Amino acid sequence: MGMQGDFFQLLKEQGYQFGSPVAAAAGMEVPTATTILALKYRDGVLIAGDRRATAGNMVMYDRTDKVLEIDRHSVMAIAGVPATAYEMVRVLEHSFKYYRRTQLQELSFEGKLRAVSKLLKENVPAALAGTGAVVPVFAGYDHEQESAKIYFYDILGAEFEAVEYAVSGSGSPTIRGILHYVNTWGPQPLATLPEEQATIQALRLLSSAAEFDSATGGVNRELNLYPVVKLIKASGVQTIPDADLKRLHESEVLRGR
Amino acid sequence: MYEEPYRWIEAVGNRRQYLDEQFAKGSPVVALAYADGILMLTVSRGTPKLYEIYDRIALGGMGHPADLEKLRFSLLEMAHVEGFNRSPSDVTGARLMKYGLAPTIKQAFEEIYKAPFIAKILLAELGVKPDRDLFLSINYDGNFEESRGWAALGATASVQGRMRRYVESQPAVAQAQLAQAVELALCTWAVGSLAQAVSESTAAESSSTQVSEEKTEGNGSSLPDKAALLAHVRQTVGEKSLECVLLERRAPGSAKYRALRPEELGRLLPPAVSAPATT
Repeated sequence: MGMQGDFFQLLKEQGYQFGSPVAAAAGMEVPTATTILALKYRDGVLIAGDRRATAGNMVMYDRTDKVLEIDRHSVMAIAGVPATAYEMVRVLEHSFKYYRRTQLQELSFEGKLRAVSKLLKENVPAALAGTGAVVPVFAGYDHEQESAKIYFYDILGAEFEAVEYAVSGSGSPTIRGILHYVNTWGPQPLATLPEEQATIQALRLLSSAAEFDSATGGVNRELNLYPVVKLIKASGVQTIPDADLKRLHESEVLRGR
Repeated sequence: MYEEPYRWIEAVGNRRQYLDEQFAKGSPVVALAYADGILMLTVSRGTPKLYEIYDRIALGGMGHPADLEKLRFSLLEMAHVEGFNRSPSDVTGARLMKYGLAPTIKQAFEEIYKAPFIAKILLAELGVKPDRDLFLSINYDGNFEESRGWAALGATASVQGRMRRYVESQPAVAQAQLAQAVELALCTWAVGSLAQAVSESTAAESSSTQVSEEKTEGNGSSLPDKAALLAHVRQTVGEKSLECVLLERRAPGSAKYRALRPEELGRLLPPAVSAPATT
């Protein structure tokens, strides 16, 4: 008998295997590239990601959703192998629900963080084999501390709390520098930005990433494709509608047109 | 001694009598579909009796807390493994009832050397559209039935019959707002609770006339009026706590279940119940 309310244990008892390593075929490219970012703003955390999935030089898909709601108060943004990442999100989603429904209380924020790193640890063999590496950013609202928090992970499952922002994916080196610059010498620190200003920053950052990283998708106005931007506040997770992103993109991101 | 068929039937009969007695002091459960979803209501003392099973499925129970807990866990396990391995939309109340609950409960009831489950369970399932809302209730012997619009658990079939008569005599709440549905649910609960109190006291006086008494209970005596029912609720709520949960069709996210907080429920109660107690 394992821990009470542990859904992952229940799955394993039923023969479920997560992250079993499969040796990568020589020269095989797995789709991994992306840009995701999370930053603290005045009312909580903003978490955003582009929508491109690539395999080598090929663009596989331009409508991927990499910013996934796990429950009403937590979101995981994923960079890495989508198959593993989506499976992780599914396991987490069911684990949190199962815990809440069996134990009649919400899993604590720390408990949720532990669940993420436990899954990543289970996934180490697959990550090292090159077929299942996932580098997520997890953000959620901690009701006990009454603040929204950001955590990022390495592929081995180590967890780090981000004080101001976190980035992941192939486009992240580009925007990491920008984030540091804006946050330190910009007109005001990111943590004091109101909602709309934070959203504008996210759009600009993702556009910059797309400018320098071929594996990050930018805005495609023709197809009406915008990044996914979500806000995490005490009241829960909220997705910014495309119409708002379009308006902000046209007025604040595009120049001289 | 139970090898003989007659003995076995006798033993099962004894079991029914024993089980019926176990529920006499339980609190009825009422579930109703209203304009924005489904509401489930009961009055409980100590342990809660209404639970979340899955995204669109709620459970209400009568009986022994330990038995309810055991059955609830098996449902949760089945629903979540199924929802993960297949998809959340494959987790349905009907399958949970037919494959999860009914065989287990029936087997425990008929294995006369072992203890039966002292439990009656009501599952409410929120459909994607209102006409797909479904209610499933199961008795301690494994018999289950489906219904639309509303459902209730009561100590005996005659109590449930009385609750049915009351709901059918009232204006429908399928299109009504929450407060109106809460009022009907409260009154229906009170009908059940009063009927149980009556049959319990008469049963105590003379257990031999139980059959004829049940008959009059089911058809004859008229139903109390709303004021009397609400007065009974008010009296009971003073010492026990009112429990009310919702499955809300328009709730954001996949999980539609929500327990009403006491202050929220307080605002929905009819004035005859919520007014500050004077006694």
